[in-house]
Amino acid sequence: MKVQDLVTIDPWTLIAQLLNLFIQVMLIKKFLFKPIREVLAKRKALADAELADAAKAKEEAESLKSEYEESMKQARDKANDILNTAQKSASQQSEEIIREANAQAVSIKAKAERDIEQERRKAVNEIKDEIGDMAMEIAGKVIGREINSSDHEKLIDDFINKVGEES
Amino acid sequence: MDVSEKIVGPKVYWELPVDIPVLGRFHITETMVVSWIVMIIITTICICLTRKLKVKDVSKRQAFAEMLVETADKFVIGNMGEKFAYFVPFVAALFATSVVSNLISLTGVLRSPTADLNTEASWALVVFVIITSQKIKAGGFGGYLKGFTQPIPVLTPFNVLSELATPISMACRHFGNILSGFVINILIYAALAVASSKLLGLIPGAVGAVLSNVPIFSVGLPAILSVYFDWFSGVMQAYIFCMLTTMYIANAAEG
Repeated sequence: MKVQDLVTIDPWTLIAQLLNLFIQVMLIKKFLFKPIREVLAKRKALADAELADAAKAKEEAESLKSEYEESMKQARDKANDILNTAQKSASQQSEEIIREANAQAVSIKAKAERDIEQERRKAVNEIKDEIGDMAMEIAGKVIGREINSSDHEKLIDDFINKVGEES
Repeated sequence: MDVSEKIVGPKVYWELPVDIPVLGRFHITETMVVSWIVMIIITTICICLTRKLKVKDVSKRQAFAEMLVETADKFVIGNMGEKFAYFVPFVAALFATSVVSNLISLTGVLRSPTADLNTEASWALVVFVIITSQKIKAGGFGGYLKGFTQPIPVLTPFNVLSELATPISMACRHFGNILSGFVINILIYAALAVASSKLLGLIPGAVGAVLSNVPIFSVGLPAILSVYFDWFSGVMQAYIFCMLTTMYIANAAEG
């Protein structure tokens, strides 16, 4: 069999080895680098997705927390409002009651005064009548005759009035 | 068989009986055939390693494949920078082809394609083209030519020489190491065969006559020497070749 020299440049072998190298690059790219890089990229995407999920969950939890805090604050505010309103209305009511009571007291006092005045007047009138009758009786007994009541009514009234003013 | 008959270039298996200008007769040599075997081995390993890839709980096989890819990435990006990441498959193919080609001689039957200067010359040619294109890309064609006159115009011939010496030295370094291993291996086998034939021939009678025809001394010692000449040298030269490739290309791109 024919053999080549130990150290020689043979164009055909050179070209063949050049092509072999390029083909080998393609093959190693297709069968090793491409599948491995794909799986590495997939794993990275998975890890990224999990991290993103965790971040999202954290965000959700935080929004829930802030929502909860917001509603708590609202509830507290509402309670305070209710308390304030209740206090205000209570004080209003009490004031009203006091005012009413005062008004009632005043009106009662006024009525009582009126009543007293009426009673006094009634009593005075009664006394006036009695005294008049008594005077007429006395006068009749003194004079011995009946004094016409209607004639002397005016006279007696004057007298009673004078007594009333003096007393 | 005489030793000098064994220390020859690759066999020519088939030749096209037509002369082609410049290139000569087309032929299929041992180097080409063994290179195809090397390519089949590498591709088969790649396919086996990347079978049934999973995203979660990976097998040892897949972990090894991922480690290979990451090592290649680290090597290329560490030496050349992130912008040369597209060179990773090229450098990986170069390294894998070189290592498998160097070690395939361990079979004892196949001749290393790297023990043929044409193999390294083609690789060095590719590297030279990449270096030149990177230099032109970095400084423009004028800048590339002007680079030869630096630092003073007198040095131009030496600069051209050193530019051409780069691929030649790369090719010859690799080729020389593998060829020397190849030659030394043949010499040792021949020497041990002669030694065992002479020493065992001293045994009188039929026993000596039989044993002297069997190269018993060839068992064992060549294996120890092959640790250096095949394993260490083979892996080392592949590593050096790839290292120089990345370094030269990265330097060329810097301008």
